[in-house]
Amino acid sequence: MQSAASADPLDPLPLIAGRQDSDSLTRIIFTPVWEKTRRGWWFLFLLGLAGTGLLTAAITVTFKEGIGSWGNNMPVAWAFGITDFVWWIGIGHAGTLISAILLLFQQKWRNSINRFAETMTLFAVMCAGMFPVLHLGRPWFAYWLVPYPNRMTIWPQFKSALPWDVVAVSTYFTVSLLFWYVGLVPDFASLRDASYSRLKRIVYGIFALGWRGSSRQWHHHKIAYLLLGGLATPLVVSVHTIVSFDFAISQLPGWHTTLFPPYFVAGAIFSGFAMVLTLIIPARRILGLEEIITLKHIDNMNKVVLATSMMVGYGYLMETFIGWYSADKYELFSVANRMFGPFAYMFWLLILCNVLAPQVFWSRKIRTNVVATWIVSILVNVGMWSERFVIVVVSLHRDFLPSSWAMYKPTWVDFGLLFGTISFFGTLFLLFLRFLPAISATETKELYKELSEEHAEATAA
Amino acid sequence: MSSSGSWPEPSGERQWRSIEEREGSAELRAALEREFPAGAAELSDGIDRRSFIQLLGASLAASAVGACTSAPAERILPYTRQPVGLTPGNPLHFATALSLGGRATGVLATSWEGRPTKLEGNPLHPSSQGSSGVFEQAALLQLYDPQRARLVKQRGTPRAWKTFLLDTSLRLSASAKKDQGAGLRFLLEPNASPFVADFRTRMAQAYRNARFYGYDPLADDNGPRGVQLAFGQPSDVQWDFSKADVVVSLDGDFLQPPGPHLRHARAFSQRREPARLNRLYSIESTLTITGMMADHRLRLRPSEIQLFALELVQELVQQPGLSSLSGVSQASGQLARSEHLKWVKAVASDLARHRGRSIVIAGPSQPPIVHGLAHAINAVLGNLGQTLQLIRPVAGVESGVASLSALADEIKQGAVEMLVITARNPVYSAPADLDFGKRVASVPDSIYHGLYEDETWEKVQWGIPAAHPLETWSDAQAHDGTVSIVQPLIAPLFNGIPEVELLASFLGVIDKSAHQILREFWIEHGPAAAFEQRWERWLADGFIANTASPSVQAALRPDSLISAIRDWVKEQQGQVRSTPDTLEVNFVGDYKVYDGRFANNAWLQELPNPITKVTWDNAALISPATARRLGLERDDVVLLQYRGRQIEAPVYVLPGHADDTVSLPLGYGRSGAESVARGVGFNAFALRHSAAPWFDRGLIVKKLSRKHKLAVTHDHWAMEGRDLAIQYAVERFEKEPNALEQLRGPTETLYNPVNFDREQYKWAMAIDLSRCIGCSACVVACQAENNIPVVGKVNVLKSREMHWLRIDRYFSGTLEDPAVITQPVACVHCEKAPCEYVCPVNATVHSDEGLNEMVYNRCVGTRYCSNNCPYKVRRFNYLHYTQNKPKSERMLMNPDVTVRARGVMEKCTYCVQRIERARIQSRIEGRAIRDGELTTACEQACPAQAITFGSLNDANSAVARLHRDQRRYDLLHELGTLPRTAYLARVKNPNPELA
Amino acid sequence: MSDWILGEFASEEKLLEAARELRAKGHAQVETYSPFPLRGASEAVGLRRSKIPALALFGGLSGATAAYLIQWFTNAVNWPINVGGRPPHSAPVFIPITFETGVLISAFFIFFGLWIILRLPQPYHPVFEVEAFRSASTDALWLSVESTNPSETEQLTNRLRGLGARQVSVVPEEP
Repeated sequence: MQSAASADPLDPLPLIAGRQDSDSLTRIIFTPVWEKTRRGWWFLFLLGLAGTGLLTAAITVTFKEGIGSWGNNMPVAWAFGITDFVWWIGIGHAGTLISAILLLFQQKWRNSINRFAETMTLFAVMCAGMFPVLHLGRPWFAYWLVPYPNRMTIWPQFKSALPWDVVAVSTYFTVSLLFWYVGLVPDFASLRDASYSRLKRIVYGIFALGWRGSSRQWHHHKIAYLLLGGLATPLVVSVHTIVSFDFAISQLPGWHTTLFPPYFVAGAIFSGFAMVLTLIIPARRILGLEEIITLKHIDNMNKVVLATSMMVGYGYLMETFIGWYSADKYELFSVANRMFGPFAYMFWLLILCNVLAPQVFWSRKIRTNVVATWIVSILVNVGMWSERFVIVVVSLHRDFLPSSWAMYKPTWVDFGLLFGTISFFGTLFLLFLRFLPAISATETKELYKELSEEHAEATAA
Repeated sequence: MSSSGSWPEPSGERQWRSIEEREGSAELRAALEREFPAGAAELSDGIDRRSFIQLLGASLAASAVGACTSAPAERILPYTRQPVGLTPGNPLHFATALSLGGRATGVLATSWEGRPTKLEGNPLHPSSQGSSGVFEQAALLQLYDPQRARLVKQRGTPRAWKTFLLDTSLRLSASAKKDQGAGLRFLLEPNASPFVADFRTRMAQAYRNARFYGYDPLADDNGPRGVQLAFGQPSDVQWDFSKADVVVSLDGDFLQPPGPHLRHARAFSQRREPARLNRLYSIESTLTITGMMADHRLRLRPSEIQLFALELVQELVQQPGLSSLSGVSQASGQLARSEHLKWVKAVASDLARHRGRSIVIAGPSQPPIVHGLAHAINAVLGNLGQTLQLIRPVAGVESGVASLSALADEIKQGAVEMLVITARNPVYSAPADLDFGKRVASVPDSIYHGLYEDETWEKVQWGIPAAHPLETWSDAQAHDGTVSIVQPLIAPLFNGIPEVELLASFLGVIDKSAHQILREFWIEHGPAAAFEQRWERWLADGFIANTASPSVQAALRPDSLISAIRDWVKEQQGQVRSTPDTLEVNFVGDYKVYDGRFANNAWLQELPNPITKVTWDNAALISPATARRLGLERDDVVLLQYRGRQIEAPVYVLPGHADDTVSLPLGYGRSGAESVARGVGFNAFALRHSAAPWFDRGLIVKKLSRKHKLAVTHDHWAMEGRDLAIQYAVERFEKEPNALEQLRGPTETLYNPVNFDREQYKWAMAIDLSRCIGCSACVVACQAENNIPVVGKVNVLKSREMHWLRIDRYFSGTLEDPAVITQPVACVHCEKAPCEYVCPVNATVHSDEGLNEMVYNRCVGTRYCSNNCPYKVRRFNYLHYTQNKPKSERMLMNPDVTVRARGVMEKCTYCVQRIERARIQSRIEGRAIRDGELTTACEQACPAQAITFGSLNDANSAVARLHRDQRRYDLLHELGTLPRTAYLARVKNPNPELA
Repeated sequence: MSDWILGEFASEEKLLEAARELRAKGHAQVETYSPFPLRGASEAVGLRRSKIPALALFGGLSGATAAYLIQWFTNAVNWPINVGGRPPHSAPVFIPITFETGVLISAFFIFFGLWIILRLPQPYHPVFEVEAFRSASTDALWLSVESTNPSETEQLTNRLRGLGARQVSVVPEEP
């Protein structure tokens, strides 16, 4: 049988390229796990470790000296810490979204990227999860945000958005982890069975939980996986909504707006897909996965990026409009201060990266051009970070009373935490690529079968 | 009634023991040289300066434990016999007095088991009337300063006090035999102490040729001379601003020390209410606190002010019935008509309309003629005996620059063999041309009695550690001559020797304590009968009743004034006008460190300057126009050249400053052993010249490429058209009394506000912007009361200052002639507090009586409360500011207030500890807390009575009345936070003729 | 005592066909094995509807209820405090945590429910005895059936061959 390429004559881009069968697919997907470690991997890994070292240093200083080692001040009591937090959480959203929502919508092109995206989610949320604790004045009391019974019956205060945040983020992480693992078990099994070294068989065997792929197991597994996906979908939306509440429930001009929930969610998906692209483009090349992660996937993801870019663009527009429409001098000022204040360059940077850059994706040529895509995806990541910076810092540094206006200057610790978490994220991801199949073998095989059947029908007719 | 009984007296043996420790401190000195190369290195990281100071302090204090007489922190034994009247856990209050510029201000000290922690004004004392200024408030930190001098030293070598006594007594007797002490000179800190006066006479008998000088770089010599010119007789002037409808200030910053500024502020602010509004014209060079209050402010170069005064006289002569001034006006001849003629006319007619109800006052920096003219005007307007009284001069030595240069000349001629210095650090604060350091060093036998091992200490043979005024017995006189007995609150912490004992030793009294000596003196001078009772009463009251000096009658005798003016006119013709590239230099005393004596006081260093809001620095002040002309902006470092000397200074562009004039605040750039003062600011004394100590032409300013970052806490000048600090003309207020209606009262809301009316108390505050003069006494008072840490310049630069109460200062109008308004802002205790509902752990919640409470030990430090506080009054402990406090400074902490650790939020609590004390007291007495019985620290200190605290549920309480006032408005009312602190808009009284 | 008979099939259709056949013949213990879920396999081996959805619903509801009760009790009952002048019991602000906790608990029920239903983890299973069976998780399709006596084992082996199994192997039960 020939390639599934021309399955759809209107859409020449194939989801799986070349002639395949279950065995060949298995080989393609598992090779990266089996082959001996490459030199390039070691180089990147050590680089990541170095960055993680920087992270450790920054965290140590933060705990030892206090938040004073950051650039934060009065009035800018939140700065890099929260910016990084929201940024990472945003990135963490594509994963679950891709696998869950696309799963519900039965999107075929989901299959070869969902594992990738889910893993990215887990690691991103890990990075995000550090910041709420780190940015506390007394991190050793972080557990006070949890309603544990205590003889003084002092409880958390649930009118604040911060406890919501704690619950939302931890729920999101847990559910994503379960979802990820449930999807991974059959692959563990096939890893177990396909590997020849005893050690690998034992290790993978442990994680496979004794999976046999029996019809009974598939029967329950399928529904469980679907349900988790169904749960994860509203979860994704709710989590970033709640993150946006961290700002929206306040009465600070620039934070105090009902626009935030949808616009944060759009932003999250936006940055999430951008990060997937940033990672997947080099990965598919290096790991030789071009046949499974095809231009078709990249093209689709670029469409999503373009769409969400338009949404956040609309968000910026609305913020400005409301600033004027509210006729509130503080709102108006905060809008003006964003555009023309001392931090204006951050605002225009985010407009450039988040609104203008993605417009190139109107052309299919560029959508299917990996290099261009990769550059834009990185721009979007930068843009989304600066968006959060503008929201957090620029709103705070000039609020109601001009007497307390001040400037903000980050310290090396602030940058250490930002780039440290990025390296930490990278390190984890390299480990993932080394020891786990970056693509769900099971689902790919299933998909391939469906595709060839469609093809058969198409040719039969 | 001193608590000094509790601690053992110092013994020579112990002093010797501390010498080993001295080596330790010497190393720290060395460390200090490394640490502060001209205050540059400290900028490296957020903690350097502070942690270093703490380190230094801690180790010094550690060494002190051995050395000094008492370490209360060590004493954990209970009292075997309870001291009279002392209940552990309840503070005692003692009355005493602090002197500045030779005049005493009565204070009440709060003492916990023998440990003074807070100073308040003494309500009965004439110059305090219950309020206090920044210097009184900060005096305690100086008392506990671990860097104070600790050892009697001879050329750096520690000696026993007894050794010193022996040594000097020998040489004294020698010089007495030789020539009755012809070589003996005293340089005294100006003071009006009856004991010192008596000491001088007795010394004069013992050593006929000994002489006395006084020195205070900011002393007012010109005032008395002006009185002499005007009335031909010496006398002190007492101003009563409460009676004055019109006040004309000729560079006279009468709301600031030296002088009874607290009394002035009280009287003046009483007249700032719409009903009895006075009108203040301020003619001045740099923007002063008085200038900020002015209804009309005219900025002139210092040298132009005399011209203005003369024009004013010439204008007044035109007015009916003021012809008696004609002599004076003719003397000045034909003056070049100046551009501000309109001004002169307006002021003149206004004065003429308010005869007997006006004041013309001149500042210490203005020459005697200006003072003379002011008095002449006051006299012809019939203000004498109405708004100002002449009293018999309060005793004291002349102590201006003139007296110091006289001494310097004597030393140059080699006439001085033994020099005894009790003046505060004259080597530093002497005009540069006197080269006083060299002079002192050249004296064969010099003795310095100082609080610190400062610049002067390094030059003398004998350094004697001085006992702090709160550690010793002495006496002093208030501005009106009222005598106070100064009693110690604690035994000398660092082996300080009382001034009384030092002086007495020159009369051969070496075996008596200051206490004995002083008692004996007062037993001699005064009715013997019932001395004990009177003595106790004096100590209890804090002053001796009916000792004010009597008022004297005087009439205007303008002859000498006229001749003085003639001479001046002559020399004017000889003079050349200042060329455009040379500016006028204007030396001003500093609001924070006075003449540098408070430079080692971290509270004052970190206090934002009331005008410029600069902390941890002084700056050369210039006007925007001049800055533009010279291409300067803030933080530029300039080279200032004047009379062959030059210094470098950072520039601060100050709106409302006179053009072509540079004002240089004195008292910074210290180089003594005090590490807090070191490397802070530049030393303007290095440019001061004894020929023109206050102002002069011929300053050359050169821009350098360097920049020096000033730590300014309040960068933004404008109010951005927001209704924050509101001021308007009294006419408008009368026309539309409800102008502020939309800025108060309930707002639209989803939830009904919580009802507090059924509570017994409903705490609230009212701040009257009409009264607030922005002197910042409240800020320091708050700091002292609430154990607020100092964060150091580095952290102020990162805008992390911790003051719970700040004073916002806004300019409006033109940059050249702005209207200024000051507004104290602390937590306003919103009934619908935005900070509370965002706290995840219930660390900030509301009390039944409406306090917005901060629960430190529940706070985890999310800082969300601060983000959501529209007033930005919350402060966060970004670092562990209270870590390793010096032992001695720990004694300063108020035991009623938690000392906050790293990572917790803090803010104004409405002095909840005071509320609870009042509550306990009232419950003991089975009654409710009376209105006015309970005052917050800021309210108590405020000399202008701008702050009022009380319960709104008592409809007749002062605060309730103010909350109903027509001038009342809420800050950021539109946010619906329902603040409990209400503001009263400032009303101004502009002269229609100048509109 | 019982043996396991395993057969590998070349195509999905044959596999399912065989499964149906065997069940028709009254063999209860028929299982198919495949690297990915096969359409129709559940029906072929006759499985009933999964209980997991019910579990999920129950978990979700109980989690949400608990969350709301905790917030209500701690903030409004156990120690109500005046916080910013807002009512102690304000339902809207309790929603987010209620929802999130619902999702969390529901997810736990699904996850652990799944393993309990499948009796996993289960390190050993007779089918793992057959080396060739390893291909089941990568690309091959297998069928297993249990027999209770040697004669039945014999005949099942033949039947599987007859149904087109490419290879058949028997895992004898240890006596």
